Amino acid sequence: MSEVITAPVLLDADDGHRLNRRMRDLVDAGTRAITVTNPRSRHNLGVGQHGPVTITFAGSVGYYSGGLNNGAEIIIERSAGWGTGEAMSAGRIEVRGTCALGTGASMRGGTIVVRGNCGPRTAANMKGGALIVEGNVGYLAGFMTHAGDLIVCGDSGEALGDSLWAGNIWVAGTIAGLGADAKVVETTDEESARIHGLLRAEGIDGTFDFKHVVAEQKLWYFDARDPEAWLRI
Amino acid sequence: MCGIAGILLRETGPVGDSLVKMCQAMRHRGADSTGFALYGEHDATRLIVRARHPDATRAFADTEAILAAVRELGGDQHAEASFDTAAGAADRFIRLEIRYDGDIRRLAIAIETAAQGIEIQSIGHSLEIVKDAGDAASVDARHGISAFRGSHGLGHVRLATESITAVSYGHPFWAEPFPDVSIVHNGQLTNYYTLRRLLEQDGFRFQTGNDSELIAVYLADKMSRGQTFYEALKDSVYELDGCFAYLLSMPEVIGSAKDMFAIKSIVVATVGSTVAMATEEQAIRAVYPDELDDTQHPDPRSVFVWERSGRVLQEIV
Repeated sequence: MSEVITAPVLLDADDGHRLNRRMRDLVDAGTRAITVTNPRSRHNLGVGQHGPVTITFAGSVGYYSGGLNNGAEIIIERSAGWGTGEAMSAGRIEVRGTCALGTGASMRGGTIVVRGNCGPRTAANMKGGALIVEGNVGYLAGFMTHAGDLIVCGDSGEALGDSLWAGNIWVAGTIAGLGADAKVVETTDEESARIHGLLRAEGIDGTFDFKHVVAEQKLWYFDARDPEAWLRI
Repeated sequence: MCGIAGILLRETGPVGDSLVKMCQAMRHRGADSTGFALYGEHDATRLIVRARHPDATRAFADTEAILAAVRELGGDQHAEASFDTAAGAADRFIRLEIRYDGDIRRLAIAIETAAQGIEIQSIGHSLEIVKDAGDAASVDARHGISAFRGSHGLGHVRLATESITAVSYGHPFWAEPFPDVSIVHNGQLTNYYTLRRLLEQDGFRFQTGNDSELIAVYLADKMSRGQTFYEALKDSVYELDGCFAYLLSMPEVIGSAKDMFAIKSIVVATVGSTVAMATEEQAIRAVYPDELDDTQHPDPRSVFVWERSGRVLQEIV
C-alpha cells in the first residue's frame, strides 16, 4: 500500500490526454483529492474512477461524466450533459447545476445528487442506489427502473415510471402523468423517514410529502391474447 | 450520428471561424464530410453560385460555358469567377457571381447542361454553401472557411448512415430553386420517398438521394405557398416522420425543429447578442470557452426561430 497523499492534485482538462487513466493512477499512488480545471463541457470526464478520492470538476461537463464509477466521490460544480453516472456501481456524484438526459441510467449502486433540474429519462433502467434530484425531472423518469430509489423534491414530467419493473420513485411536487404500469401508493411513516434520512445525509433539510410510485405489476405477466392488456401499454 | 451547428450574430463577424471551431469540436460525430452555409452581405443585384466540378481538368473551360449559358438566359457575369487552389485535386470548386433575375430552376438546369457532372452547392444573394470530404480543419484548409465574415451560418459534420458517402450528399443542403435557403439536419426521415414523390409531382428536382435535402425543399415550398418561416417549421414536426433535429436558415434568421421523441439533441446558448446552437455544448465552448450562463435544451416537438433583430419565437407544437 502506498502512503496517503492529502495534498490535492490540480489537473487541467485542456491538456487532458488520458485524463481518466492519470486520475486512477494518482488514486492508486495515494492521492485523495483531485481538482480538474477547464472541463469545458467535454465528454467522458471521470469515467471508470474508483475510490477513495474526491474529484472536483471546476465547471460544466459533457456526456457520461462519472460513468462506471466504482467508489469515487465526484463533484461537478456546474452542469452536466447526458448520462451522468451511467452504470455506476458505487461512490457518490454531486452535480451542483442541472443535468441533461439519462442521469443515472442503469446505475447499480452509490448515490447521485443533483442540486438543479434533470432532463428526460432520469434513472432509466436504474438497478440500485439512490438518485436525488432537488429540482424537477423531465418526461420518462424512472423508465424501466428495476431497483433503487429515485427521489424528486420538485415536479415530474409525463410518463413517470413507465414500464417500471420494481424499485421506488418518490416525488414531492406534481406528477404531470404516470407511465404504463406505474401507480401511486400510500407512503408509510417508516418509508418517509428512510427517504428523509437519505435527503438529510445530502444536506437537504425540510419535510416533503412524497408520492410513492411503484410498479402496478400488470406488465409482469403480459398476456398477448388479452385485448385489455394492449390498452395498458 | 452527425453533428449540426449554427451561429447568428447581431453585427457582421467571423462566422466562418466560429463554425469551423464548432465543427472541429464535433469531429468525433462524423468526418465523412463537413460543410458550411455562410451568409455574407445580401445583395439583391447579384447571385452567388457555388459549385463543385468533379473533373478539375474541365473546370475552367466549363465555367466559360456556364457564363455563356447565363448570358443566353439574359444574365451576365457580375464579378470574376474564383476557384479553389488545391494542388493535384481531382475536383475543382467554383464560385461565380452573376447578374440574373429569372427563374432559378432554369438557371440551375442551364448550369448543369453547360457543365456536365457539375454539382451546384448553392445559389443565393447572400448564401454560400461550401461542403467537402473530411473534417472541418481539412475543409477549412482547402476552402478558407475561417476567413469568411458574415451575419450567420450553419455547419455540419457528417457520418453517412442513410445514403452514400459523397461530397454532394454532405450537408448543408440548398433548397433548389429557392435562393438563400439552407439546412443542416441530424437524424433520419422515414417518410422520405412519400414526400419526395409528392414534391416531384410539383416539379421539384432533387440533386441527391439524401433525406435532409428533402426537408429544405419541403420547407421552402411551404414558404413559397405563403406560409411564414415559423409556420413551416411547426408543420414539419408532424408532417415529417422519423427522428430529426434540424436547423434551417435564410437571410436574417435561423430556425430549429425537433421531432416528438427528440433523441437528437440541440443546445442553444445565448452569449451577449449572439445565439449559438450545436448538437453538443462542447462545440459552443470551442468558441466561447467560459462557462455558459444562458443555455436551453429544446424539448420534443419544439420549434425555435431566432432573428437577427433579436426576436425569438418558440413553441412546443
